[in-house]
Amino acid sequence: MHGTYGAGPFGRGLAWATALYLLLPILIVVPVALTDQRYLSLPKDGISLRHFETVLTSPEWLGSIWQSFTIAIAASALSVVAGTLCAIGCWRVSRRSTDIVRVLMLLPLIIPSIVYAIGLYRYFGPLGLLDRFLGVVIAHGVTGIPYVVITVSTALATFDPRLEQAARGMGASLFQTLRWVILPRIMPGIFSGAIFAFIHSWDELVMVLFIASRDVFTLPRRIWDGINENLDPAMAAVAVLLIVFTLSLLLADRALRRRSEAG
Amino acid sequence: MSAAGRTSAGWWLLILPALLLVLVFYIAPILQVLAISVSEPEPGFANYERLWTSEGVQRVILTTLRICTITTALALLLGYAIAYAITLASPRARGWWMLAVLVPLWISVLVRAFAWVTLLRRQGLVNNMLMQWGLISEPLALVWNEFGILVGMVHYMVPFAVLPMLSTMREIDPRLLAAARGLGASRGQVFRSIFLPLSTPGVIAAGVLVFIFSLGFYITPAILGGGKTLMAAEWISLQILDLIRWGLGTMLATVLVLAILVTLIVFSRVVDLRRMFGTGG
Amino acid sequence: MSALAGHALALRGLTKRYGAFTAVDDVSLEVAQGQFLTLLGPSGSGKTTILMAVAGFVAPSAGTVLLDGGDITPLPPEKRDFGMVFQGYALFPHMSVADNVAFPLRVRGMSRADRDAKVRAALDLVQLQKFTDRLPRQLSGGQQQRVALARALVFDPKLLLLDEPLSALDKKLRAELQEELKALHRRIGRTFVNVTHDQEEALSLSDTIAILNHGKLVQIGDPNGLYERPRTRFVADFLGKSNFLEGTVRTRMAEGFLLEAGPVQLRVHGAGPAEGTRALLSLRPEKLALLAEGETADNVVEGTIRAWSYLGAGSSLVVATEHLGEIRAVLPAWKSSIDPAEGLRVRLGWAADAAVPVEEDAA
Repeated sequence: MHGTYGAGPFGRGLAWATALYLLLPILIVVPVALTDQRYLSLPKDGISLRHFETVLTSPEWLGSIWQSFTIAIAASALSVVAGTLCAIGCWRVSRRSTDIVRVLMLLPLIIPSIVYAIGLYRYFGPLGLLDRFLGVVIAHGVTGIPYVVITVSTALATFDPRLEQAARGMGASLFQTLRWVILPRIMPGIFSGAIFAFIHSWDELVMVLFIASRDVFTLPRRIWDGINENLDPAMAAVAVLLIVFTLSLLLADRALRRRSEAG
Repeated sequence: MSAAGRTSAGWWLLILPALLLVLVFYIAPILQVLAISVSEPEPGFANYERLWTSEGVQRVILTTLRICTITTALALLLGYAIAYAITLASPRARGWWMLAVLVPLWISVLVRAFAWVTLLRRQGLVNNMLMQWGLISEPLALVWNEFGILVGMVHYMVPFAVLPMLSTMREIDPRLLAAARGLGASRGQVFRSIFLPLSTPGVIAAGVLVFIFSLGFYITPAILGGGKTLMAAEWISLQILDLIRWGLGTMLATVLVLAILVTLIVFSRVVDLRRMFGTGG
Repeated sequence: MSALAGHALALRGLTKRYGAFTAVDDVSLEVAQGQFLTLLGPSGSGKTTILMAVAGFVAPSAGTVLLDGGDITPLPPEKRDFGMVFQGYALFPHMSVADNVAFPLRVRGMSRADRDAKVRAALDLVQLQKFTDRLPRQLSGGQQQRVALARALVFDPKLLLLDEPLSALDKKLRAELQEELKALHRRIGRTFVNVTHDQEEALSLSDTIAILNHGKLVQIGDPNGLYERPRTRFVADFLGKSNFLEGTVRTRMAEGFLLEAGPVQLRVHGAGPAEGTRALLSLRPEKLALLAEGETADNVVEGTIRAWSYLGAGSSLVVATEHLGEIRAVLPAWKSSIDPAEGLRVRLGWAADAAVPVEEDAA
């Protein structure tokens, strides 16, 4: 029955134009990163990898990349543990009494990060968490919880609660039920949540602008300074590396989901 | 009863870590922001009086509302076209269209803002090209103004507009469209009297979502606005980091949060955030 | 209304291929003005694809669709002026009953006053006058089906196309609506084309039934003719139930022939295949009788009741015979002279004109 009704020329044209508008600006950084010139431009006499070399041999850029990476790993671990347990708890406890919990868990997606960032700026001062690895991990970890709660809840929605009851009925403790019955079934959801929480931390800038300054200088922070101070092709090279990294994470997520759906 | 109660307590224990984390490290700092807005520089609502008395504050609010409204309208229009194309596409083409939506969604907002700067600045690729073709003799001011902000914000928001509209459109039974044609309706009539009304709930949800996200948006307006056109988030940051006026900054932050919560509550019947992210993965 | 209100439809060599798969294979047929045609076949037989090609939703790979002799194959669906009742009805969920029925008139630019009068008449026709302001989801399945009918008829369509119109309803309601549909067809005299996989519905509603299998038209004819004289094993099996008896044609006689199945010789009326060839007979279960002591018939076989079930109006027996395999018989309860029981030896009898020769289906 499909194909009996299609978009008209106007709708189709607008959709194509929008797709180009969404993708072209992102793609344009690739040739710019490969330019042989010293300033932001398209390649003139040939392509060159020198700007990638600049980035990958710079201790500042490598240091920031490593810092962002370790922060994102630690923060997403925090989000995954807290978010997964919370999603499972909300799934089993009656819906009504956990409604308020669900709303709380979604707040970080709704409230602008600028509001949270200025709040943290004051809150972390007395706790000695400003410009500390732990401080950024906590901030990113807490705001990453919603992604995990959402993906895990989606995975649980297709999970038959009677399996859990059957396991408990056969004498399994809550911990054993979690370990052997529930977790294996929702692994793909947890993994998706982990990827989204990781990307969230890896890309996060607003909080970092307020709660970190010198000792913690993440990749987004360095890019921000680069955009505001010296626009050079090395920035484009960093952008390309980031795009490749994000795309491979998304592809990994997709591949894993395909496999779990097929299996 | 007691056995059931014990089990339930066990499950509540699972919720506890996340709940504590969010309460101590999320809710508390935000409540502190609300508290500062009525206690600094001195207790009272003096900061809020500025909403009526300060032209600067009013200008920021008006600029923010104007940019958010235009962004929402454009993101809905473009997003609708994409969601419509995805809904009516063959399953194979659908995968490619989804990619066009999801890839930008997950690419760092900084990378995207940087790409727009590269394209739109005075010596940028767009101006260079237009000059080479002889269409203009002077570079156009495409960025570091309101136009630049809009280009970047709409670019950021279109994927967020697509997802809720798409999930509504996919629930429309394609047989209804075939039936309408069979009963004599032209393509335009099918769209106007069947597809558009049935997709309206998704449009409203998408509109609310994009508007809320736009209100407190910081990075893109800050980079593409070049400090000349100030929106709420950048103004707040300016008050706190540069001018150390905590009272004013937290006042506008509070207003922002209240505006967002009120919008959400008003539209809570049509907006389902979870559903949106469910299809977004 | 006179029967002339209808239009004549013809398909010539209609073929639809999806890649290597042929959904409809060279189908030609004709429907006269005011006729009720049913396309009957199992799922995947191509019946729905044919209907969609008539409606204009599917472009044929080859062949033409003719309306009153004129080629309409290239016309888009909205230009054909055919009313259609979709499977699941496809009522617009955001429109009231009246708005749904008014839709075809609105898209044709009819004025509000004319529209209202027509909508009222159409809703009268299906006895839904009281439900004009309801939304589709507030109606029962049977009521929704009637709205779909009214919507398909309100603009005086040239044809009414029905895609499994009763399949979503329960058995009792289905029987009721079958009768209504038939009465409606008589009253308005339009040409109806119906698609179904339900053989009872096809038998009770249609003037003409076209039986389809694997995209091919197997046999077309009036219900009685098809039921009594199926051409192939598939038709005999799909339209009603049938026993199949296999043997070799022996002596030909004036009014028929003898079929030899092992030591048994069966008398068959009608022209059969040539002498010496293998032949297949279709024998309807209800044409068999359980013979009492001393009673006789053209053909008689003995066997043992292997299973039986009581059906209210009658009972159904499976009798194991020595040379003809298992034979199923349906007997009217009031006529049965013997109380059936498993293991009981019985004699089955049938008339020479009860069994008809059918062809084995092409592989």
